[in-house]
Amino acid sequence: MNQMCLAEMRGITKRFPGVVANDAVDLKLYPGEIHALLGENGSGKSTLMSILAGLYRPDEGEIFIDGASQVFRSPRDAIRAGIGMVHQHFKLVDTFTVAQNIVLGDRRTPFITRMGRIEEQIARLSQRYGLQINPRAKIWQLSVGERQRVEIVKMLYRGCEILILDEPTAVLTPQEARDLFRNLREMAERGRAVVVITHKLNEVMEIADRVTVLRGGKQVGTMVRGEFTKRDLACAMVGRDVLSRIQRKSVAKGPPVLRLDKVQVLNDSGCNALQGVSLQVCAGEIFGIAGIAGNGQRELAEAVTGLRNISKGRVYVGDKDLTNAPVRRIIDEGVGYIPEDRLGTGLVPGLGVVENVILKDYRTPHLSKGPIVNRRIGVKRALDLIARFSISVTGLDAPVKLLSGGNLQRLLLAREISSGPRLIIAVYPVRGLDIAATEAVHRMLLEEREKGTAVLLISEDLDEIFKLSDRIGVLYDGNLVGVLDIEDADAERVGLMMMGGEEREAAVR
Amino acid sequence: MKLRLTGRNILQVEKTMTPSPVMVVLVPVASIVLALAVCGLFFYLSGKDPGYIYGKMFSGVVGSTYGLTETVVKSIPLMLCGLGVGLAFRMQLWNIGGEGQLYMGAFAATGIALFFPDWPAWVLLPVMVIAACLAGGFLALLAAVPRAYLGVNEIIMTLMLNYVAILWVDYLVYGPWRDPQGFNFPLTAPFREEAVLPTFGDTRIHMGLLFGLLLAVVFYFVIYRTKWGFEVRVIGESPEAARYAGMNITRNILLVMLASGAVCGLAGMAEVSGLMHRLQPGLSPGYGYTAIIIAWLAKLNPIAIVLVAFLFGGLQVGGYVVQTSGIPSTMVAMLQGTLLFFVLGGEILLRYRLRFMPGMRAGDESA
Amino acid sequence: MRKWYSKAVLLVAVMFMTAALLAGCGGGEEPSADNSDKIKVGFVYIGSPGDAGWTYAHDQARKALEEALPYVETEVVENVADADAERVLTQLAQNGNDVIFSTSFGFMDPTINVAKKFPDVVFLHCSGYKTADNVGTYFGRMYQARYLTGIIAGMATESDLIGYVAAFPIPEVIRGINAFTLGVRSVNPDAQVKVVWTNTWFDPAAEKEAANALLDAGADVIAQHQDTPGPQQAAQERGKLSIGYNSDMSKLAPKAVMTSAVWNWAPYYIETVKAVKEGTWESSSYWGSMAEGIVGLAPYGPMVTDEMKAAVEEAKEKIVSGEWDVFTGPIKDQNGELRVAEGETMSDKDMLSMDWFVEGVQGNIEQ
Repeated sequence: MNQMCLAEMRGITKRFPGVVANDAVDLKLYPGEIHALLGENGSGKSTLMSILAGLYRPDEGEIFIDGASQVFRSPRDAIRAGIGMVHQHFKLVDTFTVAQNIVLGDRRTPFITRMGRIEEQIARLSQRYGLQINPRAKIWQLSVGERQRVEIVKMLYRGCEILILDEPTAVLTPQEARDLFRNLREMAERGRAVVVITHKLNEVMEIADRVTVLRGGKQVGTMVRGEFTKRDLACAMVGRDVLSRIQRKSVAKGPPVLRLDKVQVLNDSGCNALQGVSLQVCAGEIFGIAGIAGNGQRELAEAVTGLRNISKGRVYVGDKDLTNAPVRRIIDEGVGYIPEDRLGTGLVPGLGVVENVILKDYRTPHLSKGPIVNRRIGVKRALDLIARFSISVTGLDAPVKLLSGGNLQRLLLAREISSGPRLIIAVYPVRGLDIAATEAVHRMLLEEREKGTAVLLISEDLDEIFKLSDRIGVLYDGNLVGVLDIEDADAERVGLMMMGGEEREAAVR
Repeated sequence: MKLRLTGRNILQVEKTMTPSPVMVVLVPVASIVLALAVCGLFFYLSGKDPGYIYGKMFSGVVGSTYGLTETVVKSIPLMLCGLGVGLAFRMQLWNIGGEGQLYMGAFAATGIALFFPDWPAWVLLPVMVIAACLAGGFLALLAAVPRAYLGVNEIIMTLMLNYVAILWVDYLVYGPWRDPQGFNFPLTAPFREEAVLPTFGDTRIHMGLLFGLLLAVVFYFVIYRTKWGFEVRVIGESPEAARYAGMNITRNILLVMLASGAVCGLAGMAEVSGLMHRLQPGLSPGYGYTAIIIAWLAKLNPIAIVLVAFLFGGLQVGGYVVQTSGIPSTMVAMLQGTLLFFVLGGEILLRYRLRFMPGMRAGDESA
Repeated sequence: MRKWYSKAVLLVAVMFMTAALLAGCGGGEEPSADNSDKIKVGFVYIGSPGDAGWTYAHDQARKALEEALPYVETEVVENVADADAERVLTQLAQNGNDVIFSTSFGFMDPTINVAKKFPDVVFLHCSGYKTADNVGTYFGRMYQARYLTGIIAGMATESDLIGYVAAFPIPEVIRGINAFTLGVRSVNPDAQVKVVWTNTWFDPAAEKEAANALLDAGADVIAQHQDTPGPQQAAQERGKLSIGYNSDMSKLAPKAVMTSAVWNWAPYYIETVKAVKEGTWESSSYWGSMAEGIVGLAPYGPMVTDEMKAAVEEAKEKIVSGEWDVFTGPIKDQNGELRVAEGETMSDKDMLSMDWFVEGVQGNIEQ
């Protein structure tokens, strides 16, 4: 690539209290390329891009735009220099229209605005890149994918030549992700540079022209398409070879632990979220529930754990009927639960490690005498779990919200597993985790299986499901549309069932 | 947030998780000195001698035994209400009704004192305490029940109930409970000696102080050491997590509000039985509201609430002292407000840090 | 948590240290107090002299006292809540005041309590009924002035409905309403006086609102018993007439105020302090009359006709000369029951505990 680069970051260093987020990182962005920024959580990818987008100021290093050194005092400066960033959490006003959001905060917007013309402009712009949005729609009416498109169009509208996307696929369905990649390619072909921050190897393999890998704030290297394999990237990212598949040992299946019999559940808006789901999970078995989010997964987990009312049908754990039993009783029956929302539901963000470790059994005679909680035992248990599950914490009393995502999940799993459950409900257990943490979580779940625990795994990630499950069920529109043994399942078929394809196919036949 | 100072230097505000120990010491000191300096300048400009005023304030509040004891007296209702509302705030129940609960407590205690004239002190006083707690707790429950079962906003409920309680006491003292010997003035008959809380020596400090100190310790223990306190903390931090852990949120809302109202009711009992010795309108100049600030400043820590209540007691006593040196009450209010403002501002500085970023290179200006 | 309260302790300590330091360098010595020729007089106000009402009238008299007696030095504490009165009174006594005027009814018990501890200080409590060897009470027969303003209102009203914004249903206020009504009906037997309670002494907005409600009900003259001129302003805004109270309110609502029933405490303050200085003071319950000048009417507004003035003068003469007083029978109450028989005059004791309305008043006493 001999052409002039659009932007260059040279020797960028950024320190936060206690950590060096970026350590002398260099990065060049050329027109027409999709550049992947790969790294584990906390490796400094987002910080680096936040510096480029004017949110942070580097402690050392320089940024050159079109060859000239520049200092950005605010994102506005960066946008003026043609750099726009789409954050993971969108910055949109729900009650405004798409067009209003796009011109909001744009300095060029005249005091008296003719929305009609702007809407036309936006429509033209979005059409050119295949980003279909209706400029007159209100944000709250849009799906997550559409909102992302609004953010992208916003940056294009402001004339950004360099577009940065922070984990853009984290919130998208596979279909939406594919559309997005197509749009990004379109933009690159028209001479823009696109940076995608990600920790998913598949995405890098799929779209990146070049990839820069960061580890612990340091730049491991920059590679050009064709020069790297998935394994190379993984090694660079983690610092060791991790793609060695965890092997599932064969475990003798025990008696059924969880039994659902035609369970019906309403969702928050009062519609049927589960329409008569029956299934069985046996001891020593991982039962994977595949499906696109919003098809009843959340309600399924909540119904089993007593957090949601079951309107029809029955739930049995062992030989006990736990339909609509109090949460406390279900816990006492040995049901562990890794909720989707780990910080806020599974863990109390503002309390320390000890408090979170004793969250569920503070009332058992082991931990309390009469009304008084024995904190000393809690501390001992916390220390034990920290050591056993190699959780890194800053202190036993520091709020757990300060922990990284991986450590949070380890802590949560450690608590649930250490209580010796006979059933574990795990919902999206590795969402947002990096490779090392994902591996640790998977290992923990497999170990539980080997111990004879029944595991109900709910996940969107087919790789994960296939890697761990003994049997796979697909949830579609509140129905369990198929249950397959892992030996009989292939990704294509499950994928089709997830989209509701199986049924239609069956009907045609 | 960034602040541009001169051409190239930038002051940046960043969030820090752990304030440095030096700052923990320095910031409050600086806040207070700064507040005093700002007000001092103001006093000076309006022709008063700030040194004389501050000297007066100091000697009036801590310079004499009387000033000190009065500070303590003033802090008793603040402390009790602060503990009461602070407990509810722990669970993110915004009990703004401390004032009304105080009035209800005063009402109940007075009722017992007036209508059981034959009881000896050792029966009468405990019964008054229990009645006051029940009455305060009852008023809080009126807001807690709709909150717990229907999700009705407790802020509005407790706030409105304040008016109900205050007007209820007004009705009694203007009407049925009026002292027959009182020329129809709005006062109940004075309490008999048996219904008066004992005081310490010949000061006006009454047993209410012991209630406050004892409760602070008990609350501290309950919140940090018991199962119930643990539940309260978890629910306060995250109701979803509490549900997940199988805690009964409804029951805890009722219990916490009951306890919160009961303690505020106790404050009312302590005021009528320890200080006023009769029920009369204008019983509280807003103790229940000041308590909200106290609880927040103390970060809901019961021990800290006691200390902050002393501080507020001192500020209010000092305010009156300063008036006798010719400072109008409005200026005193300004002094109190400024002190609060600076101390709260300093708190924020503790959680953020300033970073001075000098020396951006030439060429920046073009950006 | 632990961090915080150590911080709070620090905060308190630092505050006091700073105050001490400032006191030290400010050289703020107390102004030499004991100058045997001087006599120190303390005043405790419920409100602020800026209220243009009750406290203003007292403060005007205080200034007159300082002017009339060169050996007098005064000290003032304003905006004192009932709950704080005992401390403030103690503090004034400790400061070496020889005479202390406590100018609100709610300060009654505190005054008596503090007086016990300072037998050498003379306390004078306004509007109460408890006396001691060193505590006297003082008040004025405001009802006499009220009666006269009633005559003007009764002649001025066209709708025969007069509004009366009143604070609390205590005897003082009821007496004023009755006297006013008797005055109104002495010249206009068909007229009615409609009473609205505000349940506050000092709330300009609420008082204005109450006056507006009365105007909406058809009243065209507004009288009041409050501490602020809010009702007068309401009348002026609606182009209606009004009668002020406490002090001359014509400056605040020149188009509406016909006259005001005013307090003139100065003669009493001067006499009393003189008596204390000369050692002739004795405890008493002083209830001054119009003849002694403690109550009176403010200058008439331009809308007051000569006819009205003549009627007022006629009645005033009878009252001042002692020939006749306001509560002389026959007087019927609201239910038409004869309360004071023909030719009889109410005793002071009955007047001081009045709890019923005369015929012609619309309103209830029990809220």
